[in-house]
Amino acid sequence: MSAWRSAALVCLPLLSALGTAQAQSDALGWLRKIQDATRNLSYSGTFVYQHGARSETSRITRLASADTERLEVLDGMPRELVRTRDTVRCYLPESHVVKVERRTADRNFPALLPGEVNTLLGNYDISLGEVRRIGGFECQGVLLAPKDNLRYGYRLWADTASGMLVRATTVDAAGNQIEQFTFTQLAIGRVTPDMVKPRHAANNWRVEDTSAAPAHLAGWSLNADLPGFHKVVELTRRMGESKPVGQLVFSDGLAAVSVFIEPLAPQREPLRPGLASLGAIHIYTREVANHMVTVVGEAPAASVQRIANAVQYRRP
Amino acid sequence: MNEAISALMDGELEGRAADDALEHLRRDGEAANAWRLYHLMSDAMHGQRQVLSARFVERVAARLATEPAVLSPGALPGRTPLQRYALAAAASLAAVALVGWLAFAPQPQPQPQPAVAQAQPGAVTVSLPDAANDYLLAHQGFSPRMSLLGMAPYVRTVAERADESAK
Repeated sequence: MSAWRSAALVCLPLLSALGTAQAQSDALGWLRKIQDATRNLSYSGTFVYQHGARSETSRITRLASADTERLEVLDGMPRELVRTRDTVRCYLPESHVVKVERRTADRNFPALLPGEVNTLLGNYDISLGEVRRIGGFECQGVLLAPKDNLRYGYRLWADTASGMLVRATTVDAAGNQIEQFTFTQLAIGRVTPDMVKPRHAANNWRVEDTSAAPAHLAGWSLNADLPGFHKVVELTRRMGESKPVGQLVFSDGLAAVSVFIEPLAPQREPLRPGLASLGAIHIYTREVANHMVTVVGEAPAASVQRIANAVQYRRP
Repeated sequence: MNEAISALMDGELEGRAADDALEHLRRDGEAANAWRLYHLMSDAMHGQRQVLSARFVERVAARLATEPAVLSPGALPGRTPLQRYALAAAASLAAVALVGWLAFAPQPQPQPQPAVAQAQPGAVTVSLPDAANDYLLAHQGFSPRMSLLGMAPYVRTVAERADESAK
């Protein structure tokens, strides 16, 4: 064997490893670019949310200088959500209800921070896809493939000029589409404060304030972790008009799963477990220690059920 | 055993093998869970993601109304054992769905008229999508995906209501 061939045999794998590392770092760079665009740009656009055979059109407007965003659903019953730095308000004009979700300053909001993008590599293979035209935008594809079947994968398409996400598709381990967000129209800039104001004055509407506050839910824990998922938040809150509800949130850096814990009345029929789904969200409910445990997450049904089945109560 | 359940679901088991699998399903809670889970997965893969949608409950309720003997398979002529068990499984899944979701309403609310109420005249009126919305609204803010998608995923918190109003 010639020296050249020996050298080639040694170097080629190295070069290809270097190439892979380079491609991965390019893909991570694109993820950061998408994050920056989502946070720093003002924009106004119409997007379609598809799940199963159904689709729904909404209008979204963001004013970056005020850190305020407004979402208005255009199909079906009118409804509107306005998010500011510390609250999310959900307006339901037909029932004259406004639901208020507060994000207190001491609440550990698990946003995917710049620099934390690297931590995703433990759970996802991240790579660049092709460049493709979507809705008149030239888009760079970024692919996040799950390393196991406990989480979904994502195909992201970002405008090469601005970094704005134009399309986001959630796929299962076999590559089947679970849900998809696509902008059909998007204008960057030219957003005025009026455009992010709620349309409804909501005078005399019933206000449902969730009063969420960090708390330790004594005695409640998981007897087995879901690989890759870590607890990020533990709090108590109100839900609708119910009694205080405990909430634990677990995340793998991209997907999140919430565990809600509510006391049940002592005199009643036993609660039967039940599973429901909406797009990439699964909801599973079961009874633990005379409490109703409801697990909600954008993860495969099996993952949501695994977390639910791991919930335990031990008298502290 | 899970392979047998999956094969049973795909209609690949016959005769004795099918009987054994069905017997196992009846006796073993884990196996029954797997059976239900596989159906959910299959539904999801085939685009029927609204597993507990209003129409689903309605459909099963309508089926139950026209098939009074569904829970005693022997009374159904002309069906194979597998078909009879599939119907029974559908019925028990519907029962799980109803019981599971009825518990979601902390108290009866007069305003919405979901399909559960239509399917069961005289039953407690519950705001099924409203309760689900509360969970989704409470959960959504904690999803790190928001830093990539903005508040677009919040559309899920209210998506269910659109179908209700479309009726």
